[in-house]
Amino acid sequence: MEHLYQQDTFELVLGWEFYLPLLFALIMIVLAVPMWAVLGVTSISMLHFSGVLPLSLLGEALFDGIDAFALIAVPLFILTGDVLVRTGLSHKLLDVAEALVGGFRSGFGTATVLVCGFFACISGSDAAGAAGVGRMTIDRLVEQGYPRPYACALVASGACTGILIPPSIAYIIIGLILGISASTLFLAALIPGLLVMITIMITNVIMNKIQGYENADQGFSLGRVWKAIYDGRYALIVPFIILGGIYTGIFTPTEAAAVAVITTIIIGLLQRTITLADFPKMLASSAKVNGVIVPIIAFSLPLAQTLAALEIPQGFVHVMTSMTDSETVIILMMIFILIVAGCVMETTPNIVILAPILLPLAQEIGMNEIHFCIMMVTSLGVGFITPPLGLNLFVVSGLTGTPILKVAGKAVPYVLAMFFVVLLLAFVPELSLWAL
Amino acid sequence: MRQILKQIDQNLERWLLLVFYAMIVMTIGTEVVRRFVLSYSSIWGEEIARYAFIYLVWIGVAAAVRDRAHIRIDVLMQFLSPRAKALVYLFGDLVMLAVALFALYFSFETLTISMKFGSVTHGLRIDQAWFLAAVPFGFTLTCFRLMQSIWRDGGDFRRGKPVYEGARLFD
Repeated sequence: MEHLYQQDTFELVLGWEFYLPLLFALIMIVLAVPMWAVLGVTSISMLHFSGVLPLSLLGEALFDGIDAFALIAVPLFILTGDVLVRTGLSHKLLDVAEALVGGFRSGFGTATVLVCGFFACISGSDAAGAAGVGRMTIDRLVEQGYPRPYACALVASGACTGILIPPSIAYIIIGLILGISASTLFLAALIPGLLVMITIMITNVIMNKIQGYENADQGFSLGRVWKAIYDGRYALIVPFIILGGIYTGIFTPTEAAAVAVITTIIIGLLQRTITLADFPKMLASSAKVNGVIVPIIAFSLPLAQTLAALEIPQGFVHVMTSMTDSETVIILMMIFILIVAGCVMETTPNIVILAPILLPLAQEIGMNEIHFCIMMVTSLGVGFITPPLGLNLFVVSGLTGTPILKVAGKAVPYVLAMFFVVLLLAFVPELSLWAL
Repeated sequence: MRQILKQIDQNLERWLLLVFYAMIVMTIGTEVVRRFVLSYSSIWGEEIARYAFIYLVWIGVAAAVRDRAHIRIDVLMQFLSPRAKALVYLFGDLVMLAVALFALYFSFETLTISMKFGSVTHGLRIDQAWFLAAVPFGFTLTCFRLMQSIWRDGGDFRRGKPVYEGARLFD
């Protein structure tokens, strides 16, 4: 292996100007300070103490940092998810999923995960899917015999596919940070995302076999499948428009998102499931979600720039490669860092801050950058169902009033299953790179 | 007059967000159609969408503050008495206010520098200041909402009332 930095010429020395802001951040995270403010204080204090970059960088970053056409896909994908739920098209998707797999053993559980997957093909965000699917399925899962905390855990895990199956906000952000086209990443992420979905389905079937929660006896009928597909034809068009448009190169992801919003709204208006009077509420709640996610990106950017100016990425490569020569160990260490980071931080700042730090290390061991992105986002995806900050756990526990730690306990098998997929993706690059 | 102020207090962000959201969707939609029909797209369409997006983001921060919807690790909250909870929320609001004031100051500086040099945008060729103003405008609203929230929680804390825990992010 080639070392970029000679051991005796490069020494990374970090003083209090690095550790003090980090300590601030830790204290504020524990004291439940909102994420964007935590990142803001960390950025400001690290800029101030280290003095490597002017503090006025902050004022520019808040504008220039998010002034990107690709990022506009974020509010649009959030809105598509919201429109899908409010127009009732999500129920049509559930009917299709149920007709397809509902007849088999643990059928409704499988259908729940499948509908999460459908949702993921349309909406690029995660929490909206968890909320939308959770509202439709959790009560019915309980009727089928699943305990409520387990049903919550199943929906939360299935909804992880939201950012793993394209289109995905996470891949848009990592593409923006590392300068890779989102369309390329979407193509690479297709098989890995589906793999996660299938693994979650299988995990549910196994859990069911052990615990005997659900015993479906609906049977499978082709007629029912056709009817469900016919009834849900409008809902099923949307993923084709989005993914077809992006993969054939007709639309950029942002344009595809806008077209999806317009299509779902038109379908909803024609079927009279939404009216113009619903718009203010619908747009306001999506805008609020957008106002929660994007500021976190904006405040992470100056922090990432400061870390780069402090030469942390190079230093990190040096420290890691001096510890071991084995590629396997380095990959495992990266996954470990990502999963731990995913537990305590939101995905967005993790991507913005960690992608520039870990990518040089990945390149040092000869990893393809697209393969790296897939490994990174999938590892971070595990963090959606791990406490203390599992966003999906929060959403489903908020929906049902089930205590978050109870849900987290039932999610353990899914965490392990996703960890297995992460390892598979990390060590079999062909799964991500076959189409490129 | 009171009525008007109350309406503004309740709906200001909502109205603004509605306008900017609609602007984004409609401009990108029109650009796509235009490209198909006329095989030509404008340089200003993308610009409008980008700048409307920046307004959407920073006004959205204020809207999320108002509904206490920002993401935080709130495991701690389960173990706290209502009064301690109020203090934790107040602390969070104060930290947000500090960051927002910093952001307001520096984004305002960026704005004044741009106004001094009179820079214009690439597509529309209008004063860049109109768009740079999105950041200080959003943070002014955010500061205002934070002060409202601190005032309300402080009052609840003194009277020993349970503190506002926020609207759900997904209703």
